[in-house]
Amino acid sequence: MDDIETQGMDRRRFLTVLGVTGAGTAALSGCSTERVEKLIPYLVQSEDQVPGIATTYASTCTECSAGCGLHVRTREGRAVKLEGNPAHPVNQGRLCARGQAGLQALYNPGRVRSPMARQADGTFKDITWDEAIATLASKAVAAGGKLAVISGAGAGTFSTLLADWTGALGGRVVRYEPFDHEPVRAANRQVFGLDALPSYDFARARHIVSFGADFLETWLTPIEQQRGFAESHGYRGGEMAKHVYLAPRMSLTGMNADEWHPIAPGTEAALALAMAQVIMSERSGAPQDANALRGMLSGYDPEKVANEVGLTADQIRRLAREFASAQPGLAVAGGIGSQHRAAAEVCAAVNILNYVAGNVGVTVRFGAGLPTADGYGAMAALVRQMAAGEIAVVLVHDANPAYALPRAAGFAEAFAKVPFKVSTATMMDETAALADLLVPQSHALERWDDLQPRAGVRGLMQPVMEPVYGTWAAGDILLKTAQKAGGALARFAAPSWEAHLKAAWQELGRAAGAKDGQTWWVETLAAGGLYGEAPSPAPVRLAATASQVAGTRPSFDGDGAFIYSAYPTSMLFDGRGTNKPWLLENPDPVTKITWQSWIEVHPDTAADLDVREGEILRLVSPHGAIEAPVYVYPGVRRDVLASPMGYGHTHYGDYATGRGANALDLLGAPGDAAFVPYLSTRVSVEKTRRYQKVAKTEGKNRQLGRGIAEAMSLTSARKGLTPEAAHHAEAGGAAHQINTERELEAIAGFGEAQHEAATKGNYLGEHPQWGMAIDLSRCTGCSACVTACYAENNIPWVGEADVLRGREMSWMRIERYYEGGEDGEPLEVRFVPMLCQHCGNAPCEPVCPVYAAYHTPDGLNGQVYNRCVGTRYCSNNCPYKVRYFNWYAYSQRAFPEPLNLQLNPDVTVRARGVMEKCTFCVQRIRGAQNQARLEDRPLRDGDVVTACAQACPSGAILFGDRADPESRVTRAAADHRGYHVLEDINVRPAITYLAKVRHQVEA
Amino acid sequence: MRKLVFVLGGTLILVLAAVALSRDAQASRQAAPAANDSLLAPVLSASDTARLKGPSQPIFFRHDIHAGQFKINCQYCHYSVSVSSEPGIPSMATCMNCHLVIGGTDSTAQREIKKVRDAFNNKQPVEWVRVHYLARHAHFPHMRHVKVMGPNACATCHGDVARMPQVFQVNNVRNMGFCINCHLERDVSRDCSVCHY
Repeated sequence: MDDIETQGMDRRRFLTVLGVTGAGTAALSGCSTERVEKLIPYLVQSEDQVPGIATTYASTCTECSAGCGLHVRTREGRAVKLEGNPAHPVNQGRLCARGQAGLQALYNPGRVRSPMARQADGTFKDITWDEAIATLASKAVAAGGKLAVISGAGAGTFSTLLADWTGALGGRVVRYEPFDHEPVRAANRQVFGLDALPSYDFARARHIVSFGADFLETWLTPIEQQRGFAESHGYRGGEMAKHVYLAPRMSLTGMNADEWHPIAPGTEAALALAMAQVIMSERSGAPQDANALRGMLSGYDPEKVANEVGLTADQIRRLAREFASAQPGLAVAGGIGSQHRAAAEVCAAVNILNYVAGNVGVTVRFGAGLPTADGYGAMAALVRQMAAGEIAVVLVHDANPAYALPRAAGFAEAFAKVPFKVSTATMMDETAALADLLVPQSHALERWDDLQPRAGVRGLMQPVMEPVYGTWAAGDILLKTAQKAGGALARFAAPSWEAHLKAAWQELGRAAGAKDGQTWWVETLAAGGLYGEAPSPAPVRLAATASQVAGTRPSFDGDGAFIYSAYPTSMLFDGRGTNKPWLLENPDPVTKITWQSWIEVHPDTAADLDVREGEILRLVSPHGAIEAPVYVYPGVRRDVLASPMGYGHTHYGDYATGRGANALDLLGAPGDAAFVPYLSTRVSVEKTRRYQKVAKTEGKNRQLGRGIAEAMSLTSARKGLTPEAAHHAEAGGAAHQINTERELEAIAGFGEAQHEAATKGNYLGEHPQWGMAIDLSRCTGCSACVTACYAENNIPWVGEADVLRGREMSWMRIERYYEGGEDGEPLEVRFVPMLCQHCGNAPCEPVCPVYAAYHTPDGLNGQVYNRCVGTRYCSNNCPYKVRYFNWYAYSQRAFPEPLNLQLNPDVTVRARGVMEKCTFCVQRIRGAQNQARLEDRPLRDGDVVTACAQACPSGAILFGDRADPESRVTRAAADHRGYHVLEDINVRPAITYLAKVRHQVEA
Repeated sequence: MRKLVFVLGGTLILVLAAVALSRDAQASRQAAPAANDSLLAPVLSASDTARLKGPSQPIFFRHDIHAGQFKINCQYCHYSVSVSSEPGIPSMATCMNCHLVIGGTDSTAQREIKKVRDAFNNKQPVEWVRVHYLARHAHFPHMRHVKVMGPNACATCHGDVARMPQVFQVNNVRNMGFCINCHLERDVSRDCSVCHY
């Protein structure tokens, strides 16, 4: 204090001088807050890259074995969006959530970036490719034939090269796929004498019975099956197929069934044979040679099996009669969640059921040539060899057996005994973490490759961008090693993998009769591959061993009170999806839980055990124990506890490691089984007295009469009733007016004022009125649209902590409501995709103090990010709660390098404090309008496709111009099943939902 | 004494503000395009270049020589302006199309052209300093405007670039005023969501 006084400067003067000088400085220097940005040109312009315009490449998805075709949209040399290839016969332009999330595999921060070698102290060190190849070459040759390769089940040019390469060294390849459908194959061998997987035509089936096969989630080829299911089960023209789901647990596929019966686990075969017995005894139409089965089937009278199955004999007879009379039918089995020790018997019994109903050759078609793995038996043999020290070198490619096999199978211990272990994994997963040499392969989007998902279809992959890191295609690794090693491998002399692949395809071109090989190649590459029909097989007959099929009951280990079901989810699959934040944040379609694993407990069981949601239970089996929170779920049997697979990784990147409980820890060693039985143990329950909040996005799971998810019976639909009229017809009442007289007057008056306002300024003139129609009889709740929206619109994932606070940012969410399930009524599930309704009379627009939320002339509810000041009044007012606020700088956290390369440059990345919501993909609308303007033509119906509509495998979402009387959206909205959610509050949504249609279910 | 300090300080602030504002106003008035005669571009001395507006670039690329004197069409280099939102910065190969052969007549030109050749030969593209910053949350479609206003209308917004030795921003795009004025004059859409999405 004294200092300042003596210097003759008091505080007031100091501040004055400071203020003047400061202002002067600012004005004098022309101080600018702008940063300096650089524009960096190409050295040589690439012909197919135009800045600002996307370049699309055709490729193939590798996120599961279905092999769907991709169109990869790239901007300025980076892949930014994956979409389906419309020309590809498997997915026909659609793509599931796992496929969309392939970008997060490409840009995953946890990727292995260069070859690594394990040092003496156990850590990994980066090495050069030359060093890695030299090491691999010398070890491979020195193995002296004691070489084993574990690879995935994909079939193509690479798998052939791998087999040849390994064979040349005297080793062998074990093709291992965790979900390998071995029970279906074994059943086909036994019943039809065919060692193959058929394809199933869901589109043609009029009656589908699934014995636990989750054909809409992870079984076989989900997108193609979902498309077919939407064709047959989606209501159209008075017709819809019936779907019956018979399994201990109601999976997502079960939620889309017209009937779910929680039959006792292990009784599926007996039930299928009983149904076959009914059909054989009551109907004549079965193929001649089915008579050989009569003796065996006579032991499966419905009266005999009813008790153990859990149905009455009358129910069994009704199921059989309905199945046989709706021709053609389709029965499927072999889902992983229902894969107990007698799963092959179940599939065999279902084969017989299909055969006597006349479905084989119609909806069950052999000749498709789906790729098959070698089964668990081959893997078990390899594990024994490794444990005995008989393997000197093992190479793991496209597989993670250290995680995907139950711990009790002893893979990790046996693997550790092999002196030299190599992995081509793109991420440091559990198996790679045990390896000695990592030679990371490039992601499918970074390399040349091909894939044959079934006979007649060969999909191509091409690099759509420079590799993100210093990785190589696995084919190049093999070829360079071969060239380095020489000797037995010397014949693999192709200069590169790309040359090897192109040479193989040149052969294909010649075989296809192409005159100009180069043109054929370019056209085939642009189309994404070769698409042909599978050869028609010879008619299928029963094999002699068919009559030996029996409804054997499987054993369950231990004597715990509950049977334990480990099942795969459509998001995480066999655990490969857990490193992708999009898939972790996309709520599980059944439980709506994000980022966490759980244990499903029936409400009555929960009451008996006195547990509530969130209580952490310890499940103990004879083989291990896991802990996870309870989720009360009416869709599981009272004596069954179910837990999802895919969690509990110990290595797999930061998002996956240490998250949740590994469901496989409770399973025992498969022993001599041909496949891993995931439904094979009993568990006892211990309370841990600990509690965890469950990060789920479900609010109340019942509608409380609000008419959000409407449904009507098939009878009402055939009469052409509206949902409201159907309610009253089915409940037996008369229609009543929703709004009172006074309300109707007010609505009309307000409507007049709106019309007047719509004739001023910008609003004058002809504008399209964008709208959407969502058919709830086709929506299966698969949530592909959710991830597609995340990818297209740069939506940040918020993580577990913020989901717990209810701050998930998904612009499109799938709401799941239960109906019934109480007082003996069957449980019915309805899905409603909920997104901004772009209301004509929006409650969010008049309350924004700064005009950030407003109505555009073309019918959108616009959100101008830079105007938004964060009042959040709009979100407060929204009755659908489809507005999302950036409470934190989520976009800074959600896109760490290199995930930020995925960002769509056409969409603004929102900062903290800004409200966001679905924009009907306005960037796509503007893009289409710009393109139409350049071409001097008007916009056509179908020019604009929103990301959600494009991804939906069921084709449930239609987008277009409601002002155009000819557009598909207008015609769909005029359907008698059409309604608006929360219609009576008069917000005039632009989205029309078409009510779900249900089959009448008798007891 | 104190009063004097206040008065002087206040006046100083007012004066500086007036100067700053008038500079902006002048810039807007210079929007009208000027006639493009095929005159020789002036030879510039060091003191001339010091007084040029606009950010200085790593290579002293003169639009008045290329676009003015030699009448090279804007779209020869800025190639994607009629099909894309992005106008496109010419690749180094575009420069080398001519400068492979053309080495420059005077020592200044030779020095600058050598920089272009070195950049191409050393595979190090030149890092140009951006002149026109439009906020990222606004999406401006160049191709729509070129379609409507014709391929030679670049000067309408970018000023008489063909007479600029060093490019500077002529019209203010840090706020919407310039854009909205033109849209009002031509009576085209002023809907927010056409650009703000």
